[in-house]
Parts: sequence; structure tokens; C-alpha cells
Amino acid sequence: MSESRRDAKAKAASSSGRLTRAVRRALEAAAERPGAVEEVPRGRLASRSRRDFLLLGAGALATAAVGWWILPDGTRRTWLPWAHDELDTLAARAGLTRDRRERALNRVLTFDDDVAEALYSRDRLVRTYTRADARPLRNNYHGRTPGPEYLPGWRLSLSGLASGRREILSIEDLLARFARHDMNTRLVCVEGWSHVVAWGGLRFGDLLAAYPPAPGTRWAAMRSEVSLDGRGRHEPYYVSIDFETARHSQTLLATHHGGAPLTVEHGAPLRLVAPMKLGLKNIKGLTHITYTEAEPPDYWRERGYSAYDGI
Amino acid sequence: MTAPSLTPARARVRSASRADEPVRIVRKHHVLVRVTHWVHFPLLLGLIVSGLAIYWAAPVFRHAPTPGNPRGDYLADVGRALAGVFGTSGDPRNWLYERVSLGPQRLANSLRLHWLFAYLYMACGALYLLGLARGGGWRALLPRRGDAAEALAMLRYYAGVIPHALARKPWPHPPIAGKYNALQRTAYLAMPCVGLLVVLSGWAMHKPAMLPWLERLFVSYDGARIVHFLCMLALGGFMVPHVVLAVADGWDTLRSMVTGWSTRLKGAPHE
Repeated sequence: MSESRRDAKAKAASSSGRLTRAVRRALEAAAERPGAVEEVPRGRLASRSRRDFLLLGAGALATAAVGWWILPDGTRRTWLPWAHDELDTLAARAGLTRDRRERALNRVLTFDDDVAEALYSRDRLVRTYTRADARPLRNNYHGRTPGPEYLPGWRLSLSGLASGRREILSIEDLLARFARHDMNTRLVCVEGWSHVVAWGGLRFGDLLAAYPPAPGTRWAAMRSEVSLDGRGRHEPYYVSIDFETARHSQTLLATHHGGAPLTVEHGAPLRLVAPMKLGLKNIKGLTHITYTEAEPPDYWRERGYSAYDGI
Repeated sequence: MTAPSLTPARARVRSASRADEPVRIVRKHHVLVRVTHWVHFPLLLGLIVSGLAIYWAAPVFRHAPTPGNPRGDYLADVGRALAGVFGTSGDPRNWLYERVSLGPQRLANSLRLHWLFAYLYMACGALYLLGLARGGGWRALLPRRGDAAEALAMLRYYAGVIPHALARKPWPHPPIAGKYNALQRTAYLAMPCVGLLVVLSGWAMHKPAMLPWLERLFVSYDGARIVHFLCMLALGGFMVPHVVLAVADGWDTLRSMVTGWSTRLKGAPHE
């Protein structure tokens, strides 16, 4: 008995000794070591230093040139009002033209979109919140909110279907035919603000299953014909949605917001809610869905934003 | 290089012998550490000016709306105060945004640039860490016993430099055993940590739906925004004392970040 206890003690002592030794070894490995003193001929040192300083200078010049070229035009005018014209001409002469800049920066957007697409998974659920976390949603649309006159005549047009037909659905059809799903998710605006919103509606995936798209199609062109511009004139809004996103269980064609039917400010009677996309993809007042093989146009893509907008 | 009074042949001999003269040096910074150190500067600048232009679109630090500031943006208040001092021809609320950011209403452009600089910044940070590992420089950054006392001694020293110089009195530098003093060590270790935090909070904002665990790490989406902003202040704020102290420390210190070597040998008195 006592012997076995002694054994255990000895074992504990030796294992604690091992631990102490391991810690000591780690500390020794992490201890700062004095740099080894080397003797180098002064001439070789001088020529190497000259090379390094020349490289630094060349790098600084190249960085300044590329930095200037990459700045938005408006920023150049604000920062150097007296020299921006001359510097732009100089940059263009060196091959740093505006066209090239736009192409290069759009490649950055494409690269970031590819990263977003690689991160995306239809199986990964977006974080949900409680109903108490939900806040009244701000209407941030840059155009004017349409009056409710369009509501009685509103229909959803569905095309690009396997049947080859064009389906015209009323909001009553949609509410009667499809199960309603409720979720509290965060709507994140490209500007940086966000709100938790209580949504209700049908799953886009259910609509896709009920009205199968034509073979070969991969995109949904989503369009609102009731959307208005800032002066209240007709200005269609349109976004592209890939099928992978459309089939996510949290991608809704929302009919409700905060427990009540959508108001015109928030896209009555039907809008897209894709919480894995930036708010600007969540098109309001949806009137047309067309399934396409090629990537459809996207309103904000044409205005310099990302095409994928995955978050 | 050659003195004009010497004949060319003799001058060559003399300069050749001087060129052959051995210089005792010690390797201070790995080449990757040096390159990423300098590349970091324009990247950080680009990230700050594009980041503040993005921030303009939806400020996170806000007070209740006022008639002069309906968005309640504190940075607009700061801008207006500065415009009052320095004057402006434009909207005084945009004073700050026009000078330290790419400017108001340039969101699409600023986002593209921010992503470009952010990817380069992450690559730069990874190469810096590789350089620290390869060159063994990480050992000089680790905290050690006695750092608190040494940090206090250094603070006391820095506070006394200018008064003693003005009074023409001697003011010896506290003895420093390693490559850095405790204050430098703390700052140089903190910066990569803040860099990591700024990258993590950036991804938490950039991909909150697909990386919800990362968003949770910062409590909420706005939590990540606040951390990101504070990291920006820390990284930008670090540059001011860093540049002042590096210049004050002298030519050897500046040169070593370009060439990698120093003639200040271990055990030699500092300064």
C-alpha cells in the first residue's frame, strides 16, 4: 500500500520534473540571443547599403506613383487642386491610365467575390436572433417610395421555367400555396449599418421546387418594375441572385415584416430577403423573376459595387 | 572618395585599403521584416483613408441628431471644430472626411480600395511573421521579468530628455540589456497583436453571415466596427511616437531597418 503510494509520488515527482524541464527548455528557446558579431569589409558593406537604399527609394517612388494613380478622381481634385491635371497626364504617359485602373480595381472586386463564394455554403445557417432583438427597419432606398396604387394590380411574373411557360402569380396565390417561414436575421447594409429584422415569407427554394427552372439556368434575374428614382420617375431596380443563394433555407420571398404584411416602404407585397447578402440585394417590390443561364445585370454592379455581395 | 592631392594610383591603393578594412556589425532585422516594415506604411495609410471614407457612409459613433448634424456623427463635429480653426471652402462637416479620407460620397470606390489594401495588408502581415520566425526576431519581442520597472525607467528618461538638454545637464540612458527596451518591446509586440485584431474584426464585418462565430467574438456587428475603429486609432497613433523616437535614436537605427545591420554591438553603451 505504502509502497504503491510512494511509487505514485515518485511518478508524480518525475512527471512534474519533466514539466519543469520542458518549461525551462521552452524559456531557453525563447530567450533573446545576442546577435553574432560579423566582420565585413567596409567596401562590401557600403555597396550593399547603397543597393538597399536605392531599392527603398525606387520602391517609395513606385508606391507614390501607383498610389496617385489608384486614387479616385474626386479625391485627387480635393487633395491636389493645383497639380492633379499635370500629374494625371504624367501618369497616363507612363501607362497608368484611368481605364487600366478601373480594370485593375474591378479585378479586386472579382477576387473578393470569389473569396465570398468560396466561404459560402448552403448548409451554413445565418445567425438568428430573438424577436425582441428586432428593430424597426430603416427605409434606405435612394429612390422615392411608390404610392400604394400598384398593389391591387400587382402580379409576380415568373419566366425561364422548365415548362417554357410564363407564370403570373398573385400575392394570394403565393400565400395560399406556400408555407410561411418566420426568421429574425440581421440585414447588413453596404454602408455599414445593420438591423435585426423579423421577417416572414415563403422560401425561394420552395418556389424553385414548385416551378422548376429551365435546364441549364443558374441565375435568377430579380426585377422590380414599381421602383422609382429620387424624383419619383419609373426606374426599374434589378439584382442577380445565384441559385445556390436562392436555395438556401434562409432565403425568403418575404411577405411580412415585424409580424405585419410588408408596407410599401419595405417592398410590399413581396421582396427578397437573403441575409447572406448585403442589403442592396434584398430587392423590394419584386415583380419579375427570370431564370437565366448567363449572369443577369445588377443595378449596383453597374455602379461600381460587387456583383456577388456575399457576406 | 579620393582626395584630389593624391595621384590616382596612390588614391586607389588608399581607398582599396580603406574598403578592405573590416567593420564589426551585428544582424538586426531579417530582410522580410525590413521589407514588410516599409510596405506596411503606405498600406496602413491607404486602409485608413479608404476606411474612413467607408465609415462616412454610416458612422458608428453617433449622438442624437441635431439641426446642424442630423446624422449625429461625432467625426462631423470634430470636422466642424477643425474647420473653425483652419477655415474651409467646403462643407465644414466634411472637413475631416475630405482631408483624412478619400472623401464623402465615394463608397463604391473606397470599398474596392479597402479590399485591395486589406488583402495586401494580410499578405504583408503573414510575411512579417515569417520574417520574425526565420530571423529569430520574435525572441526580442517577448515580455520578460523586470519589464514594468524598465518601462518606468524609460518613461522617466524620455520625460527628462528635453529639460536636461535645455539645461545642458547630463541625462544618461538607462542600461538596456537586449535589442529593445521594455517600452519598445511592449509596443512592438502589441502592434502585431492589434494587427491581428484589426484583421479579425474586419472579417467579422465583411463576412458576418458566413463567419458568425467571428462576429460573436466581438459580441455584435457594431462591436466589430468599434474594435476595428479603435485598432485603426492604435495603429495610426503608434506611428507618431515611433517615427519621433526612431529618428531621435539616430542614424544607426534608421539604417538598420533598411540594410539589416547595425554597428551597435551587444554590450556597447547605448547612445
